[in-house]
Amino acid sequence: MSEVKRTPDGFVVAFPPLTGEPPFAPDPVIEAYKKDVDRGLIVENLKLTVEERLRQLVSLQRFAAEVRRAGRAAFGD
Amino acid sequence: MPAAPPSETDFEGLLQALVSAGVDFIVIGGVAGKAHGAPRLTVDLDIVYGRSPGNIRRLTGALLPLEPYLRGAPPGLPFRFDPETVRRGLNFTLRTTRGDLDVLGEIAGGGGYEALLPDSRELEMFGLRCRCLELDKLIDVKRAAGRPKDLEAIAELEAIREERRKRGL
Repeated sequence: MSEVKRTPDGFVVAFPPLTGEPPFAPDPVIEAYKKDVDRGLIVENLKLTVEERLRQLVSLQRFAAEVRRAGRAAFGD
Repeated sequence: MPAAPPSETDFEGLLQALVSAGVDFIVIGGVAGKAHGAPRLTVDLDIVYGRSPGNIRRLTGALLPLEPYLRGAPPGLPFRFDPETVRRGLNFTLRTTRGDLDVLGEIAGGGGYEALLPDSRELEMFGLRCRCLELDKLIDVKRAAGRPKDLEAIAELEAIREERRKRGL
């Protein structure tokens, strides 16, 4: 397991820093969608290591499967 | 016979099969997005694989025990995920015993494995060294795909970019 680098405020340095402007032009449709993005969740994820983010995906998937199973048990297919 | 659809995708198991066999591939799509910090749930693994004959042999050999079958196709088709099939085809959406796997020879806006290599990075994923597409390229290829269902995901990835830049990450 490689060593995890963190900023003083707890963010994981998982990739080289992004510098400069985005290499793509703003798209008004995407900008409209961006207003509804939960940035709080993103900020919390940036404090996790890549490994933790992937483990979170597995847990989330397990939870979704369990909800589906419970739904089927309660209401049928 | 197609594999019975598992209730969950075993991302680690799929990656383990590919890495153990020495397959040249790059993780793209939702799992790559997750590695970059996206909160979104994804249910399949998307990879771009190298098209060299040796790599195609390694890829098909790695997946054979996982009983790959065309996702959504009726059972009973004479489908075999072997080197000949892969050479004649390009992109395959598969169901395996470990979950859904999209095996792509080329993607819109990105091309094939060799073209994507400079925009990928080796990462530890489930304890395995795997190549993952960089955030900017991930945004780029999702934009190029032009699918309405990707709009929310693109917005999320661009928001990740903004939050990282804001923090010097």
